[in-house]
Amino acid sequence: MSNPERLTPTGRGLLDRRSFLAQSGLSMGALSLAQLLSTDGLLAAEAPASGDEGPQTAGGVEPIRPDVDPANPYRPRKPHFETQAKRVLVIYCPGAVSHLDTFDYKPDLFKFHGQKPPGLPEVTFEGPTGNIAKPFWKFKPRGETGKMVSDLVPHLAELTDDLCFVHSLHTETSAHPQGENFFNTGFTQEGYPSFGAWATYALGTENQNLPAFVAINDPRGLARSGKNNFGSGFLPAAFQGTDFTAASPPANLKRPPAVSPAADRESVDLLQRLNAAHLERYPDDADLAGRIASYELAGRMQTSVPDVMDVSGETAATHAAYGTQTGSKLKQAYAQNCLLARRLLERGVRVVQLFNGSDPAGGNGITNWDSHSDIAETHAMQAEIMDQPTAALIADLKQRGMLEDTLVVWCTEFGRMPFLQANGTGRDHNPGAFTCFLAGAGVKAGYSHGKSDRFGFEAAEDKTSVYDFNATLLHLMGLDHERLTFYHNGLERRLTHVHGHVVKELVA
Amino acid sequence: MTLAAPAVLLFVAFAPPANAAAPANDGPAAEVVDFVRDVEPILEARCYDCHGEWVQESKLRLDSRVGMLKGGNTGSAVLKPGNVKGSYLLDVVRHLDPGMEMPPESDKIPDEEIAVLVKWVEQGAVWPGQMNDVVERETSDHWAYQPVVRPEPPAGPGIADGAVPIDAFLARKLHGAGLSFSQPAEPEALVRRASIVLTGMAPTPEEVEAFVAASAEDPDAAYVALVDRLLASPRYGERFAQHWLDVIRWAETNGSESNMYRKNAWIYRDYVVRSFNEETPYDRFLKEQIAGDVLGAGEATGYLVSGPHVPAATVGQEPTARRQARADRLDEVVQTVGASVMGSTIGCARCHNHKFDPISIQDYYSLTAVFADVEYGARRPELAPDHPRRRRGEELWNEVRSHRRLLREAGGPWTEDWRTHREMYFNPVETDAVRLTFEGKGVGLDEWEIYGPADWQENLAAADAGAVASANPATAVPRGGVEKVNDGQTGTEAWRAKVPDGSDEKPWVTIEFPQSRRVNHLRYSRNRDDLAETDYLEGLATSWLPHFTVEVRNPAGEWEPVAETKEIDRRLGRGGDLKATHAALQASIDALLEEGPQHSFVGKFVEPADTFVFRRGSPESPGAQVAPDGPGAFGESLNLPADAPGPVRREAFADWLARPDHPLTARVMVNRLWHHLYGAGLVTTTADFGAAGTDPTHPELLDWLAAEFVDPQVPGPHAEPWSVKHMVRLMALSRAFRQSSLPREEGLAADAGASLLWRYPPKRVEAEVIRDSILQASGALDETVGGRSFRIHNVKQRYAQWEVVDNHGPETWRRMLYQERMRRVDDRIFTAFDFPDCGQVKGKRPVSTTPLQALNLMNSEFVIDQARRIAERAETRAEDGDDPVTQSFLLIFGREPTAEERIAAEEVAAEHGLPVLCRTLLNANEFAFLP
Repeated sequence: MSNPERLTPTGRGLLDRRSFLAQSGLSMGALSLAQLLSTDGLLAAEAPASGDEGPQTAGGVEPIRPDVDPANPYRPRKPHFETQAKRVLVIYCPGAVSHLDTFDYKPDLFKFHGQKPPGLPEVTFEGPTGNIAKPFWKFKPRGETGKMVSDLVPHLAELTDDLCFVHSLHTETSAHPQGENFFNTGFTQEGYPSFGAWATYALGTENQNLPAFVAINDPRGLARSGKNNFGSGFLPAAFQGTDFTAASPPANLKRPPAVSPAADRESVDLLQRLNAAHLERYPDDADLAGRIASYELAGRMQTSVPDVMDVSGETAATHAAYGTQTGSKLKQAYAQNCLLARRLLERGVRVVQLFNGSDPAGGNGITNWDSHSDIAETHAMQAEIMDQPTAALIADLKQRGMLEDTLVVWCTEFGRMPFLQANGTGRDHNPGAFTCFLAGAGVKAGYSHGKSDRFGFEAAEDKTSVYDFNATLLHLMGLDHERLTFYHNGLERRLTHVHGHVVKELVA
Repeated sequence: MTLAAPAVLLFVAFAPPANAAAPANDGPAAEVVDFVRDVEPILEARCYDCHGEWVQESKLRLDSRVGMLKGGNTGSAVLKPGNVKGSYLLDVVRHLDPGMEMPPESDKIPDEEIAVLVKWVEQGAVWPGQMNDVVERETSDHWAYQPVVRPEPPAGPGIADGAVPIDAFLARKLHGAGLSFSQPAEPEALVRRASIVLTGMAPTPEEVEAFVAASAEDPDAAYVALVDRLLASPRYGERFAQHWLDVIRWAETNGSESNMYRKNAWIYRDYVVRSFNEETPYDRFLKEQIAGDVLGAGEATGYLVSGPHVPAATVGQEPTARRQARADRLDEVVQTVGASVMGSTIGCARCHNHKFDPISIQDYYSLTAVFADVEYGARRPELAPDHPRRRRGEELWNEVRSHRRLLREAGGPWTEDWRTHREMYFNPVETDAVRLTFEGKGVGLDEWEIYGPADWQENLAAADAGAVASANPATAVPRGGVEKVNDGQTGTEAWRAKVPDGSDEKPWVTIEFPQSRRVNHLRYSRNRDDLAETDYLEGLATSWLPHFTVEVRNPAGEWEPVAETKEIDRRLGRGGDLKATHAALQASIDALLEEGPQHSFVGKFVEPADTFVFRRGSPESPGAQVAPDGPGAFGESLNLPADAPGPVRREAFADWLARPDHPLTARVMVNRLWHHLYGAGLVTTTADFGAAGTDPTHPELLDWLAAEFVDPQVPGPHAEPWSVKHMVRLMALSRAFRQSSLPREEGLAADAGASLLWRYPPKRVEAEVIRDSILQASGALDETVGGRSFRIHNVKQRYAQWEVVDNHGPETWRRMLYQERMRRVDDRIFTAFDFPDCGQVKGKRPVSTTPLQALNLMNSEFVIDQARRIAERAETRAEDGDDPVTQSFLLIFGREPTAEERIAAEEVAAEHGLPVLCRTLLNANEFAFLP
């Protein structure tokens, strides 16, 4: 397909709306850019009635509408306020990681091990509850902070001085798909825009040769809520995550074998000539211009995506650090994905969402972190995949100085119970308390925020809702979660619905 | 409420004398409470600061009795005279509702004061002078809620003589802005536009040629004939069905959890296509979708369950989660109705009164009460006697009966596969017990029914009928009790048996009747509900039961075999007439299950539970009970009792919604049609006519259209009340629709978005138009209307994601309307073109342009394959006419190449082949563009 050197002059000019206007043959009089853009569905077409006070969010504040140029929707846009973070890496662990066996140390679990939980419920998600179970792995103090972290995640444990834990998270559902939806889109129901879609809608992206938002699915496949986790909901499709992994490029990226390189080149040239002629009849049409530009971006992606996916140039030391050739096959594949994530971030992709786990249930801890039985084996199996490559990725970002302006988020949809399931060997879902961590740009390092209760059953101190967490992520990206809105069916919709407070304590 | 209350001062008024003998907490409250003396001072001190004349936090006023009866944002009435438990005011002052303690941020008010308030409520909440005040139904002066009054079409400057009303309204506004309509569009552009807008497909080269020729003779007559031809085409119904399905985010999977396939949900899609094609009046269309079960159009209720849902079985064991999931399911129903028909964002009132519109939280829950008998699931749709599916079903039943007769005459048993269950017939025999003995190691039956020649409708095996089930104790399985085999409950709860390792026991199950009966017919299944509700699932009863023997007990108490499945298979498999007849029987059954009335995912009905207002949207905080009703601001109350039967509720609501004077129903639909014809509605927020939506650009035109829709005055072939075709025809025949879309400098300067319609606004076409038009150009399109959707996905495991298997083979060469609509699944080609994810209600599709669209349209196997087919077709056509390059342009753009284009195109075709040229043309802006 297209290669940038061979663009028609019209095509190249179209990359810049202003030069496009200057070059179009027709006299456009006093036609302004704003007038052109007002024809476009991305902007004012569905703006609500202004009334006396102008459009407002339900919270009563003025929305800040990103200036999205349809001919170039990924053009970088300024955040609402100055911030360190230029891009964000979200590592999402579907299935619910046990906070009690990783980062949230609860001495009382040892004390009450094997006893009926005092004051805890008879029935949880999967049914009757059993006895309290102490962590399945040893906890040790780590780093300068002495933070207690378990041996389940020895590599991440070495990084605790760089991490910022939130131990007081709680969510609104104890079912995986709703939990995934809630964490990634702010709503338990389907069809809302994901965090990555909101972020790219607001900020565009720095590298115009790569997608703005890349979702790297687990080698085992998509998580339970599938595409909803990185979808655009009611935002324009331009802002949905493009999914590919180190092992499989985006669909239809490659020139098909039936078309020779020369044929491809010349047919794109012809295409752009046909389009240029057609555009002369409709020089005002932003959609047509946008479509021409999209073919050029697609052409550049055909070079830039294989390039970013090609990890052969990475040093042996890097490969060894990530573990791309050691351990289980799944771990190796995930390690490749981690390497891909770094390469994408390095090239200025705005949002990278990296999944560690796929569709759960039935598999019980085989496909992801959901460990209703045999948690000792299943969590160990997941950790073997997740720990080393994830830690290497974060360390690599730090070593390259990228942690300065990259926000890193490690998260999961809820926690696990302090007790076992009745007559069981695993822990049930716990929406009442769980742990996630942040690192990097603008984040306090070596800090732990909030507390769960003595058993880790419910958030107790500085409770942090998922709304608060998402509000904080947007804040760290320089965005006001109350003002980043999109009008949809009667409401100025936001990632945080009508809730959420920025957790200032997490901000450096 | 105030923070620092002068409690001491207040108490002076009714503090008991110091020497009173009565216990302190029994003081004044024991007597008749006087409002002015005892109650008002408390309210004044504690409440009025925030809920009084000047300030109304949460829109709640406590300074009048009616204010209390009405309640505020967060719930229903805070006062229920005579009912302490139902009076939320008392809950909050007693701190019984966590998170809603009043007065806020201060201590609880003294018990003595609370006692006074409680007593006051107990005694009927007497408030002198206000006892006759009642809560009025909501009213509003917002434009959309006022009655439609038919305006006179204007005349005067800028308005052409004889202009049709649509053009007259538009021209007046254009004139006011110093603008005018553009020149008529070129015939080539017009035929492309009308074909795409009305049928969703580009015209064929022959259609273009014919129209251009006819236009040269008489442009008006040619155009009217074109529009009438397009409206008569079955493609029209498909096109408008697609729009309707978009709005209600209809899809064939559940979404959520395992995103399972909704079996036979497509019969609703066919209903919608047929309704548009056969001109079902819109009011009837609405009624059928809401109460089709009592109107002979049962499949139409697929509308109610069009949204995603979380099945009860997948939310876990906690009752709170189950209640929340049910509330969410009803919320999806309400959102569907609100957005598609009422143009109202009613869902906004789920947690508190609507912020912008006169929709209270009671209205929201009253509406959920209307649908309280609706549950997501499958049922056999109720169809009128003349319903085509029912008529076809009867034909096929006759076939089944005659095949059965032949088999009966031949003697001996046979089995039938009804997909959800199986049936076995054998020679009638008198007995008091029947036993099934299974080969194989494991078996499960969710239900086993027995019928006789006389009792062909009454299940003799039912526990209700006194039958008793027993099973081999040696093969028993925990939680697989034998009582489940005849409890009338189908689904996952089943009798199960397993042969222990090393045992030579066989699983058996016996039914004993209270007395001896003649029997000849068994029905049995493993998980009938699963098979009725879903499909394309791995492990879904693909392996059926192991072979088994049927025995009956004779009067001597001995077991005699009457049938063996292994023997049946052998006998029927032997060939000859018997085999042929049995095969014909099974074929008739298969056809019946496809073409006749069948279990389909169009919703099922349950006993309606009582409906309460859920404070702050939480099912754990039920407030006052509500009766089924429509929002007060949009019409009179339905006046239904809270316990009205489900179908009565829905039918009454449907009548209320589809009444001619409903302020929203007609306006919302004509606006939606306008949106489909012109690319933007007169109200651009097509699903929100409330205060947060946009005002109409042409309010009078909107009302004229709404009035004309309900009561047509303009003559025409479709001029019947609520005729969608009539309205579409009027819009399509207007000058506004027929004008050129080319830009004009003065138009762009004054009205760049062309909302005043100084030109026809061009736009990019939808995914469906691109795909369908490609298939038409290649000649591959299968034009069959309706039926099972074509599949591009795998047969998946229950907990796995759908994967695209084949999105381009011959099975997929139908209109994209018939591609399985899957929630949040990417088809790897056309989903990228803003195809809805069918999650949240979307009033209209956004239009975005992405590099993935370009990659998909350049490199997908579908496009490469179709480009080759178009090229082949162009070569064939060139044998009788113009050269292949011209033919390619004709097939794809409907026009010949310009001289300049021809030179470039011929070069590419000569050097790289015609398919490469066709692929290029399919990617051109012109192909994806509505001129």
